[in-house]
Amino acid sequence: MPSRRGLVISAEQMTLIEAVLERLRMVSGSQFAALVSTSGQPIAVSPQDGRTDTLSLAALAASSFAATRQLAQILSEREFTLLFHEGKEANLHVMQVTDQILLLITFGHETQVGRVRLYTSRALEVLKPALETAENTTGDDRVVNREYSREVGAAIDGLFSGQGDS
Amino acid sequence: MALINLAAREINYKIVYYGCGLCGKTTNIQYIHRRINPAARGRLVSLATEEERTLYFDFLPLSVGTVKGLRTRFHLYTVPGQSFYNASRTLVLQGTDGVVFVADSQVSRLDENVDSYLNLWDNLRSQGEDLSRLGIVLQMNKRDLSDVFSVSDLSELLNHTDSPVVEACALSGVGVFETLKTVCKQVIAKSTEA
Repeated sequence: MPSRRGLVISAEQMTLIEAVLERLRMVSGSQFAALVSTSGQPIAVSPQDGRTDTLSLAALAASSFAATRQLAQILSEREFTLLFHEGKEANLHVMQVTDQILLLITFGHETQVGRVRLYTSRALEVLKPALETAENTTGDDRVVNREYSREVGAAIDGLFSGQGDS
Repeated sequence: MALINLAAREINYKIVYYGCGLCGKTTNIQYIHRRINPAARGRLVSLATEEERTLYFDFLPLSVGTVKGLRTRFHLYTVPGQSFYNASRTLVLQGTDGVVFVADSQVSRLDENVDSYLNLWDNLRSQGEDLSRLGIVLQMNKRDLSDVFSVSDLSELLNHTDSPVVEACALSGVGVFETLKTVCKQVIAKSTEA
């Protein structure tokens, strides 16, 4: 019987991810690096300065990548594992890390796409084995439990109560 | 697929509004965006055609704040309703934790509702996951119009899972937040089930 899958990132994994993203951004000369889930949710970003709309970026990049995978199927290609958007000032590079995780990099004229690709491939060698254990988990009972469920329910009532269905 | 980030103390859930073309999916999301506390929402992203029909999806992130030390977010998506966009619908459904099926209550839209409902379940099954762990809500929209099906008739056709039903008129906002509350609570409850 199939089961609902979850994606749980541990503190140890997050420490590694943040270090790799920071290092990748430095050595590749990129402006921004992020890990996002294939369902469109951000996991980690570098730098954490809040200047990028990460939520929208993650949703759009994941959808764009999903569409690219479908295009590959239509073209009888096993998979496209890379997506590259070239702009006048900014470029976006998206690569698949695991079944459920993507790596996003943005960069401008200060670096070259070959350099970004080289260091991204090296980063993937570190990230991939570390993140495979995050997948196919069913949740974490220590934090997501009935007490949490009750309190979120109250928070939902509080947040939406003032809106009143007119 | 809930994303739980233990280091950042964050949980993200994904909810998809599904239904036939012009049933009111985007109207629901737009109403929520207009009326919710701006501090609790992110940017509304709409990928629409020039005629303002949804081409790929609408996206609206909502935050319910920090609960038991965990920042909890719901990411709302819509799918394109027109039948020929099924490839896009399948992609948007990936990894969803909950579904709001928005039914157009008008008698004249019966066939489109049934086709969309069957299409939803075909697409969910094709993802190979345990569907009993999904939060599902049926929203009966456009209840303000005159020639509409009764709630029981529509439930018989579009609710084989016996999920919660909310009557709505998304254009004026009736039932929109009730639907959102119901599906969010369903999603949380399902994610904490043993």
